[in-house]
Amino acid sequence: MQPKQNNRQESSGFKEKLSWLWSDYSVIIAFLIIFIAASFMSPRFLDLNNQMNILMQVSIIGIIALGMTVVMLSGGIDLSVGSVLALVGVIAVIALNATGSIIAAVLTAFIVGSFAGLLNGLMVAKGRIASFIATLGMMAAARSIALYIANGGSISGEVSGFSAIANSEFFMIDYPIIIFIIMTVFVYLLMHKTRFGRYVYAIGSNEKAAMLSGIRVDRVKIGVYSLTGLLVSVAATIETSRLNSISSSSSGASYELDAIAAVIIGGTRMTGGRGKIIGTFFGVLILGILNNMMNLMNVSPHLQGFVKGLIIIIAVVFQKRE
Amino acid sequence: MSNEWIVQMKNIEKSFNRVPVLKKVSLQVDKGEIHALLGENGAGKSTLMNILGGIHQADAGSIAIDGEEVTMTTPKVSQELGISFIHQELNVVGDLRIYENMFLGSELRNKFGFVKEDEMCRQTEDILAKLGVTLNPRGYVRDLDTSYKQLIEISRALLHRSRLIIMDEPTTALAEHEVERLFNFMAKLRETGVSIIYISHKLKEIEAICDRYTVLRDGEWVGTGSLEGTELDQITNMMVGRSVSEERFVQDHAFGETVLEVKDLSCEGAFSPVNFSVRKGQVIGFTGLEGDGRTELIETLFGYRKKSTGSIKINGKSVKIKHPKHALKAGLGLVPKDRKENAIIKDLNVIHNLTLSSMGHFEKTGFIQEKREKSRFSFYRDKLNIKLHNPTVTIDKLSGGNQQKVVIAKWLEVGPDVLIFDNPTQGIDVGAKREVYQHIIDLAKEGKAIIILSSEAPEIMKVCHYIHVMYQGEITAGINGEDATEDLIMSYATGSKREVGEGGKYRNAAKAKQ
Repeated sequence: MQPKQNNRQESSGFKEKLSWLWSDYSVIIAFLIIFIAASFMSPRFLDLNNQMNILMQVSIIGIIALGMTVVMLSGGIDLSVGSVLALVGVIAVIALNATGSIIAAVLTAFIVGSFAGLLNGLMVAKGRIASFIATLGMMAAARSIALYIANGGSISGEVSGFSAIANSEFFMIDYPIIIFIIMTVFVYLLMHKTRFGRYVYAIGSNEKAAMLSGIRVDRVKIGVYSLTGLLVSVAATIETSRLNSISSSSSGASYELDAIAAVIIGGTRMTGGRGKIIGTFFGVLILGILNNMMNLMNVSPHLQGFVKGLIIIIAVVFQKRE
Repeated sequence: MSNEWIVQMKNIEKSFNRVPVLKKVSLQVDKGEIHALLGENGAGKSTLMNILGGIHQADAGSIAIDGEEVTMTTPKVSQELGISFIHQELNVVGDLRIYENMFLGSELRNKFGFVKEDEMCRQTEDILAKLGVTLNPRGYVRDLDTSYKQLIEISRALLHRSRLIIMDEPTTALAEHEVERLFNFMAKLRETGVSIIYISHKLKEIEAICDRYTVLRDGEWVGTGSLEGTELDQITNMMVGRSVSEERFVQDHAFGETVLEVKDLSCEGAFSPVNFSVRKGQVIGFTGLEGDGRTELIETLFGYRKKSTGSIKINGKSVKIKHPKHALKAGLGLVPKDRKENAIIKDLNVIHNLTLSSMGHFEKTGFIQEKREKSRFSFYRDKLNIKLHNPTVTIDKLSGGNQQKVVIAKWLEVGPDVLIFDNPTQGIDVGAKREVYQHIIDLAKEGKAIIILSSEAPEIMKVCHYIHVMYQGEITAGINGEDATEDLIMSYATGSKREVGEGGKYRNAAKAKQ
């Protein structure tokens, strides 16, 4: 016999509405505050070129962070994104140089990225390995294969048109920015308007209940990691195209941390089930503005990690209070 | 110290949220006796013991230990007075050694602050020897059988010089030979003058080990007596009471053809092969006590657990169910028990919870039509009388009864032929209970086949045409709804009686497998 304590009816008081507004849009409010503060602190900040610069710089991490959001909403994590980016880049450049076809290179990138994601998904869903462990393994393995193939160094593209992907503009807007925005819209629609997205939220919130509702939890999870792999390959294509080369040792290093940071700042819960794509979008922008500000104000690059770390912890503390 | 008794609780009263749970209950336990505390679910046994253990405080009444009146303010006070509480969920740490578990929180240390390992091991061995067992004190607890884990808890109680040990349904997790072992330990304890309060539903066990009994019903003391010379039927009557004749909800109507046919379904370690079938418009029930295996049976049928043997036919066709998705496709629906853990997705809003299992109904070119979702929700809101202001709040904001209605609506939208309800009225108030059962009956009238699982016999009797009683993973009886009485159900559920024909067969099958 348990005493029933929380038998309260749902109420729609003003206070609750306010807290709902805060919990849903706190990241946008934080973004606005930081944006306004930045524009006061440095006159060059509002410069259109600088704004474009920020967007350009965040686009690669942004695309990865979209995938990371989906993984984290499902209750997992993907540490392998940075290493997979390097591996995808290396193999794509080899394919590019071998075939001379840009389309073949991009397709190769997509296949390699999705395949790495698929392997992650199989390990997590079928092998029942904790996502942290499975993707940690993938992180080490993918980096190692990339180093082996490229002999530890960088490889450059030998087809002239390839670097145009990341270095062209459309009405003054760089392609990577456009791709980032398109990907954001795509993942937003996927997560909020389709069955797949609904299932991901359900699994992240209560896996057993999701399964008893007739959801193929394993298949959805495999889909989640494969999608992330695909998004990483999009990011890898941009990264490789930007300098027309990829470094097997340093490309993508610690990208997973930046992506996770953006997702957390964006308000997605570490344990899954709650969070928004739009939150991650603004989380990425917040990180970008902070980096940009510190550069404009000549903060030592060695101190920038400290500020980033501080922001992540502050963001989480605020979310805890709900 | 000349008293015969060790503890005396007098006229204990307790209410939660103004609902009285205990009404002037008294209990006296003598030195060196095993005292059975009996009653149905919700009779107030746990509350009474929690008061004795210092977890709750009584609103009125007195407690005396060894002739001195005491006030139990915290579990610690209770422990210092020599009372130990061994809960149903064991409180041992598997990854620590036996002696480490024994001394957890009260480690012996030398003057440098290091633990005195040898001394602790020696004391552990001494206490275990008192109970007639030899175990290596440096062995890990995780390697022990459940009964030995309980022994570690008992030993810990002895280490703290407990004179009264409360055991809450200790045999639920034990196999038969382990129960015997536990009883041996208990008998040894009794010889050393320690008293035990033994809470259990299983009358057979109580007959085997206990000296006296106290029965509670609906928070009231019903009787105390010596087990010697008392018939078990008499105790069952006391537990159930005679004033429970309420009207049956369900009416007899003609059934359609058989929808679900289950043959020799079993899951090793959970339940032995069972057979049953349901027809269109029929409501069948499964009931029993904790550990009877009925939930496992349904989870296996629904593809959540792996079956060991058996076949399932739906509408005459054999179906393979290896995942809840297959069950859903085959025409089964499940409203599971423990709503919070198994049924609701607390971060999704009410509408999204409703449509989760039938997303296909709301899709157009791959996108979800939120308008359609909303209008379906309105339909069920009227049909099932779901009360809420705003369906876009997360479902955990709703009361238990309304949550349950949403879960039921979720399955109605799927439209299964067979709907299974596991403990459908768990944690919902009386008014909503009635409503939920009325909805279930209406569904049966519409031609659905219904399976209900419940531990509460009165509920099962009110709504079922046919009742299967389970005991330790076997169906021990099948009773027609109108012939069922609580006494009858209880005697099959406690294992004190079993149907000769069917029950015997299952038992042999189970034995042959071992």
